[in-house]
Amino acid sequence: MSTMIDTNPTDVPAHILRSPKHWRNRAFGHHWRTGDEEFDAAKFGMWLFLTTEVLLFAGIFCGYAVFRMLYPEAWANGSHYLDWRFGAANTAVLLFSSWTAANAVRLAQLDKQFWLKVNVIITIICAGLFLFIKLKWEYIPKLSEGKAPGTFFSYPFAHNPHEPLWWSLYYIGTGLHALHVIIGAGIFGVVLYYAQRHQAYGPTQYTLVENAALYWHLVDLIWIFLFPLLYLIH
Amino acid sequence: MSHTPHTAAENKAQLGWDPDDPHGINPHHGEHHHYIADWRMQVTVLVVLLFFTALTVAFFNFEGWAEGAFGIVLPGWVNIAGAMSIATIKGILVAAFFMQLRYDKALNTFALLACLGCVALFLGFSMIDLGSRHMVTAYKGDEVVPGGTGYMLDAAPADEDFFVRLSPRVNTGGASLIYAARREGNDHYKGLNYYRTTPGADEADFWAYFYGDHATHRDPLDEENYFVALGYGQDPVISDANKSRPRRGLTPGLFSDVAPLTGHGPHRMSHESTEGEDEPTEQEPYNESADKPGDDGD
Repeated sequence: MSTMIDTNPTDVPAHILRSPKHWRNRAFGHHWRTGDEEFDAAKFGMWLFLTTEVLLFAGIFCGYAVFRMLYPEAWANGSHYLDWRFGAANTAVLLFSSWTAANAVRLAQLDKQFWLKVNVIITIICAGLFLFIKLKWEYIPKLSEGKAPGTFFSYPFAHNPHEPLWWSLYYIGTGLHALHVIIGAGIFGVVLYYAQRHQAYGPTQYTLVENAALYWHLVDLIWIFLFPLLYLIH
Repeated sequence: MSHTPHTAAENKAQLGWDPDDPHGINPHHGEHHHYIADWRMQVTVLVVLLFFTALTVAFFNFEGWAEGAFGIVLPGWVNIAGAMSIATIKGILVAAFFMQLRYDKALNTFALLACLGCVALFLGFSMIDLGSRHMVTAYKGDEVVPGGTGYMLDAAPADEDFFVRLSPRVNTGGASLIYAARREGNDHYKGLNYYRTTPGADEADFWAYFYGDHATHRDPLDEENYFVALGYGQDPVISDANKSRPRRGLTPGLFSDVAPLTGHGPHRMSHESTEGEDEPTEQEPYNESADKPGDDGD
């Protein structure tokens, strides 16, 4: 692989510039005519994967709609058990992190390595904040009160026999979403590692940043619908 | 001078045609046309998204406040329509600007829309199914509720709201369809009941009644008749200890009760039930002591 550096960026250590993983030293796959085609194909593949993710959550949304239709009282009670403030706070956290993820793509395109890393770090921190809010003020208090899914339900003041079903759907929906938050943060961790170690992402090589951001936007998108369904609709 | 091309542009200039795109399929081939988002636009979208988040929360709280302040109950669709329409706007903003579908190839948008079409199918058909079940149970419910009334044949085919109710095929006389079916079955197999409940009756009485349904099939003079060949004539001959005859149809003893678990003797279940032996009730089982010896059931 050619490691020729045609321009000399300022303030970049030589061992990073020489790294074959540096974005200037990376080439697109030999079976592609251009890097653009490789990028577009990778992005379309990511979109196809995102559609399967949407269908995965569609099952939960469908279950929500069906059970809400069957047991409207249990669903109304269930949403009253949730505090909209935590849901709204998590929405704001995810929207903000979605913005920083979009920023990361733009900054990689503009070869602004420092700010790229800053935005990726903010995104990861927001993921942790989201999970912290979820655990500290939602999962742990509710589980300790007995508002647990299905057969684990032991909340003594329930008003409707179908409330365990509500909690099952709540924990499945938000838990699956939280799993996606963790995975998205992990992908951004990989991005951060390669950006720090090799400056691997730049104007011609930012596919992973783009796809990680797409994944993160989808996580945001799912939460945009989970939030009103669980917290606001009664 | 012999110049070795290093770039696609140099290669193209030297050859006079593009080796990566020899037929000129893609005129913009080799150019970087990735859209770089405008940061002002991204900030604006973020602010709008946060605004809509605050709006949906405000709408949710305003709804609760209005219901308490004015003593009204808002219909459920207000809540759902408000929350979901705002969520849809937010989702479109995220997909169009953050995910850059607005600036992307249409293929990516198509993939997402096709997926959402499938989601609409899942949700739509589930809702159609659940939402229309009351139209079925409206008349079917009477069928499954004991003591309910089936709809009469002379009932109006549609009510004042033009809601069509299917009429049952039989007139149940005001009884539930289940009860009517049970009663009809009792009538149909009264020969069976007679056989089971009358001590003097033998199994031949049952078969005689059972094939009474098939009057045209039991002419004893018809040698070619299938049932006659099997031995089911006017006076059906059943197997005995000396001769076994093939038989089709119901298994002998099919309708007799389970063999007694306690006590001794042929009487069923308990000694108390044998007290009324002189006056057998309708539910009294077939008395096996009256059975002919050599029955197939043995």
